Amino acid sequence: MKLFHKLLVFNLLGKGIFLLVFLMLSPYLLSQLIIDNTDEELLAKKEEVVKLIQKAGIENFISNENPEQGFGSYNILKEEYILLQAVPADFEIAEEISSEKRIIEEEEISYRVVADVIEIAGSRYLLEIGRSLNTIEKIEALFFQIAMGILFLFLAFSFLLDSAISKRIMAPFNKIIQSKISRINEPQEFHDKSIQSTTKEFELLDNAISEMMKRIQRSFNQERIFISHASHELKTPISVLQSKLEAIFRDENLNSYQSEKLMDMQDTLQKMKKSVNALLLISKVNNAQFLKSETVDLKMVVEGVVEDWAEIAEEKGLQLRIGEIDPFTYSDTNLSLCQMMLQNALSNAVKYVETGGVISLSGTKSGDRYEVVIENDGAGIDDTLIEQVKNGLVFLKDVSKEKSGFGLQIMYKVALFLGVALEIGSQNGKTRVCFSFPVKV
Amino acid sequence: MRILLVEDERSLAKEIHDFLQSEHHVLDEVSTKKAASENLAVNSYDFVLLDLGLPDGDGLDLLKEVNRYQENASVIILTARTEVGDKLLGFESGADDYLSKPFSLLELKARMQAILRRKSGWKKDMIQLAGFEIHLNEPLISFEGQEIKLTKKEYILLQFMLINKNRVLNRFQLAEHLWGDHLDDDYQSNYIDVHVKNIRKKLGAFGPVDWLETVRGLGYKVIA
Repeated sequence: MKLFHKLLVFNLLGKGIFLLVFLMLSPYLLSQLIIDNTDEELLAKKEEVVKLIQKAGIENFISNENPEQGFGSYNILKEEYILLQAVPADFEIAEEISSEKRIIEEEEISYRVVADVIEIAGSRYLLEIGRSLNTIEKIEALFFQIAMGILFLFLAFSFLLDSAISKRIMAPFNKIIQSKISRINEPQEFHDKSIQSTTKEFELLDNAISEMMKRIQRSFNQERIFISHASHELKTPISVLQSKLEAIFRDENLNSYQSEKLMDMQDTLQKMKKSVNALLLISKVNNAQFLKSETVDLKMVVEGVVEDWAEIAEEKGLQLRIGEIDPFTYSDTNLSLCQMMLQNALSNAVKYVETGGVISLSGTKSGDRYEVVIENDGAGIDDTLIEQVKNGLVFLKDVSKEKSGFGLQIMYKVALFLGVALEIGSQNGKTRVCFSFPVKV
Repeated sequence: MRILLVEDERSLAKEIHDFLQSEHHVLDEVSTKKAASENLAVNSYDFVLLDLGLPDGDGLDLLKEVNRYQENASVIILTARTEVGDKLLGFESGADDYLSKPFSLLELKARMQAILRRKSGWKKDMIQLAGFEIHLNEPLISFEGQEIKLTKKEYILLQFMLINKNRVLNRFQLAEHLWGDHLDDDYQSNYIDVHVKNIRKKLGAFGPVDWLETVRGLGYKVIA
């Protein structure tokens, strides 16, 4: 997951959790808030009513003729009521507010009620003012809806804002990753150019990556120069020896003993030459000294390799079965390395499969990969050994066949360099070599 | 042909010198960039064989002088350097071919002949031998007008042997010509034999191939 998306998701989750907590707590909080507010209003109304009674006189509410008949009033929707009634002199209650039920016109309604005993003109009266809890709940619901609306709007708006801000803040980071890491396949492709950023951490990251890449580049260059010098120093004397041997061969007076010894010398020289070439090739591939600028018709390469080896396989008494070879072009690659890699695999199979054995070859597209598979029924190589070869730890030297053992390692190194996944495995008496080329879009 | 050999490795220069002289060429041999410049300015050459790593500078610089003074000269770069950049720069600067050290002198001869054939015109270059017509510039071989199918490798092998006719070519030289530098370890001894056997078989169906001789213990030779 991209860091940018991660940040957005985490921001959204954080706010979502906050919203969830609010959703769970808000009924209680809102209810408490509204009840507190209602209580304050009821108390204020009580003070107002007391003042009104004192001003207007109690007789306007409770007649002197029937003092036991109290005063009661409620509005048309029974949302509020007021009750005033005479109580005995010893009747005592402290001012209290509570939620209670009252029956008004045979209808039971829940009210928030403030009740107190007031004394007017030497008489004591119970004063009750109530407000319907239905009203309070409606206000609560309304408040809740408004709060939710605002919160969701806030969430949506903050998501958009976060997205825009994160994008802007992350822009230098993305640029650093793309221009200095993702698009750099080989150290030579790196160009040191600072990425502008006002974020200190990104500046540090940019500098650190640039420094690291420059160190790798320097090291690659040093290795390249070393390989070039080593190549010159090793190949020139071999060249001299080879030309001198060829000069002796041109002498028509050589006897068979001399010829034989000269052939031995040439054989040794040839082995030395191949070892030097193989070591230099491995170094050059490791050091990315080959251009990858060609587009290769892989079907043609496979068919070419097959043509080269078909008659040799036939001569050895092997069956070379060519399966389906789908057309496929592989771009940004190196033709000669590609040929060398596939040729090594097929030539190895031809060498190691016993007479009467079968080698099958196919090239098919499978999903986003193109796979060239060479299977044979020769003795395979131990997986642990293959892993060591793959990691450059050993060469599979085969003294009995006078093989230096560079071939397999060259195959692995070249495959890695060309971006080809190479799998070698042995199962049920069959060895399978699979070159998996990515299908580039 | 008159050839300028620019090579600072004396032993190698001597061998190339002797070989090309035995091929009846006239050779000027120099070991420094300065001496090469002087020769290029004064003499006229058909070929310049140029080593890149010279004691007083880069051989690539000499290519400009070859272009300036030697319009008709062909250049083959002989080098032990391995960098791709050098090779590309060499071709871009006008070199006709690039031969990596160590190389066989017969390979050098084959390359020189290929350049000559290319420059002198295509299609006309054909060798007639015991009724066979072998075209050197296209993969075509025929016998009394009948085309004979050879694989690419067999054709290259036969062509190389024809260019070096009357000379014994050992299996290493043949393998190197076929596969270049980066070949695997041990196939040359066996697989060259297989290719030669197939050539004989395919050509033998049309006419006698006794001109392709096996030289016991050494290699093969085309008698012509």
